Amino acid sequence: MDKRQLQSTEDRPLYESVTTSGRNFKLALIVLGALTLWGLAAYIFQYNIGLGVTGLSRQIFWGIYITNFVFFIGISHAGTLISAILRLVKAEWRRPITRAAEMITVLVLFFGVGSILIDLGRPDRMLYLARYANFRSPLLWDVTAVAVYLTSSSLFLYLALIPDIALLRDRGGRLKWLYQMLALGWEGTERQQARLDKAIRFFSILVILVAVSVHTVVSFVFAMTIQPMWHSAIFGPYFVAGAIFSGIAALIISMYLIRKFYHLEDYLKPVHFNNLGLLLLVMALFWFYFTFAEYLTAFYGNEPLEMSIFWSKFTGQYAFFFWSMVMFCFVIPVPLLAFKQTRTITGITIASISVVIGMWLERFVIVVPTLTLQRLPAEQAFYHPTWVEFGILVGCLALFCLLYVLFTKVFPIISIWELKEGKEHKKAEVREWLRNRPPEERAELQREL
Amino acid sequence: MDTSRRNFLKLLGIAAFGFSVATRPVLNLLSRNNPARAAIGIEPTVPLAGKKWGMAIDITACLDKENCTACIDACHTVHNVPVYPNQHDEIKWIWRAPYKDVFPEAEHAFKEATVKSDTPVTVLCNHCTEPPCTVVCPTRATWKREDGIVMIDYHRCIGCRYCMAGCPYGARSFNWFDPRPYVPEINEDFPTRTRGVVEKCNFCAERLARGQQPACVEACPEALIFGDLEDPNSEINEILRTHHIIQRLPELGTGPNVFYFTRD
Repeated sequence: MDKRQLQSTEDRPLYESVTTSGRNFKLALIVLGALTLWGLAAYIFQYNIGLGVTGLSRQIFWGIYITNFVFFIGISHAGTLISAILRLVKAEWRRPITRAAEMITVLVLFFGVGSILIDLGRPDRMLYLARYANFRSPLLWDVTAVAVYLTSSSLFLYLALIPDIALLRDRGGRLKWLYQMLALGWEGTERQQARLDKAIRFFSILVILVAVSVHTVVSFVFAMTIQPMWHSAIFGPYFVAGAIFSGIAALIISMYLIRKFYHLEDYLKPVHFNNLGLLLLVMALFWFYFTFAEYLTAFYGNEPLEMSIFWSKFTGQYAFFFWSMVMFCFVIPVPLLAFKQTRTITGITIASISVVIGMWLERFVIVVPTLTLQRLPAEQAFYHPTWVEFGILVGCLALFCLLYVLFTKVFPIISIWELKEGKEHKKAEVREWLRNRPPEERAELQREL
Repeated sequence: MDTSRRNFLKLLGIAAFGFSVATRPVLNLLSRNNPARAAIGIEPTVPLAGKKWGMAIDITACLDKENCTACIDACHTVHNVPVYPNQHDEIKWIWRAPYKDVFPEAEHAFKEATVKSDTPVTVLCNHCTEPPCTVVCPTRATWKREDGIVMIDYHRCIGCRYCMAGCPYGARSFNWFDPRPYVPEINEDFPTRTRGVVEKCNFCAERLARGQQPACVEACPEALIFGDLEDPNSEINEILRTHHIIQRLPELGTGPNVFYFTRD
């Protein structure tokens, strides 16, 4: 790495996100920190007194925490889709997005697992899941799949980070000791690069397979019971589609924020948002298709138990949540994304915010109504979440954002080496193309350029 | 090898052999469940032996007894079940529900008969032959014993409540708080639970081990009949053979071992 490259002002914004912090960063730290502390206080309160401080009851024993669990694990599909699938199909536009996506995945999985641990009656016994594991239980399939997913995504993120860590190491600075250690002696030789490419390719394929299995087994936690409206074959694909849907939306929101606050307008261009926006639109249509199939099947079958839950969602106790979900997941985003005039960066981001809210509601609408109308209607119950549950939800979101922001201060949020690699590929491509042109065309192009 | 070491090894071998042979009978004798203990006069009672425990409940016995809670009180007192002011937190091992809710599909069959839609029916854990609750427990804290009782190990339960989701009968309760302050009168002979674990009817396994009938059966023997389903001479077997039996949600394939009948 020669000095000239190091001191160059090219790609300066990519380094600046790491090296400089403004007022916004400090503000973010304070606000997110405060919200995290509130969530922590809520959890300490719950840990001391018991899960009874929530709105849960004998009838509705799973509520917001399980909703959060499914929601967070769903968001983790951001990284997989973008990084792994786009890498494998060699879509060049993925380059500035991969790191942000992979980071979301790794971080949010911790909160997914955390939500389950928060929901346990005896969290001090959480290691029994390993010690006395019963592999006939879908929860254990969950633990296994999420553990594999977390490990492989973390490795995936780390591998793709190594060349950038080396870049930062060579630039020097406060964290040089850290970068030195983490760079593992990366010098950018051809052999090292070939090895890295191979490893990344391997992990891309692995991560896709694991990601599909992860959200499928999360759905199996519900689908494998014999509760009405849970015991449905569609849950596997439904949850995976929903996960990719919410994952892309979360990614778009994070892209919008880093673009704005780190002045990355030259790197995160409208084309990136447009492509992700179109993917989001496709997933919205998929989501609608699965939802429609699920409810039409229940309605047509007219089984008493399923219908009582159906009506509680359509016109009864949960109508507000159900129709809000439809509005946020479909009615608002689809027109915004379908029409070119509204498919702007702002429009796509608004659609994404709507989708994230809608998908949280979707998980809520799946978990809770089935439990309110169990097989003893005389024991119909209401679920009124308390400040503890909302506090923990807000705390989890705040801590997630906080850790994400801190990450961007240690590592570049856009993959510098991959952008460079993309440029080299493009140059080589253009050179090859030019070489194959007849001389008159070449001369003409020369005059033009 | 010199003789002293050889002798030592010989002794060790004999001791190991003797230990392996003698241990089992000695432990058996010391075990409280050994009928031989009663035979030689150590144990005052003989534990009830059964291959497949089941219960038959006479629905007509609860007619005109809208306020009777004898079986519930007996069970909850013996097992240190707490009483909470808020119904949301309630814990119940055995309770009553209206007939139309317990047997929604059988509603019409008895319309003209003595049993009405809102006749109270006693419900509890069915100790199913194929329990949907035990298979989903991530730590095997709940399992089906050989004699048919679906047990819970309160020391292993991590409180994930998946078993509550697995049970289609709503038979399980969760300790949302520390129950001890809410138990009206603690029975020292039965453990109390901590907060954060699931509990349910255990067919009084501890009383069966002492040769006693379950507490609810003892409180109301006319309505509740308990016994070994595989014993051809038991009262429950006779009832099941001679009466029309209905069960809760048989179509789910759980194979409940609680049967409901009417004495006509």
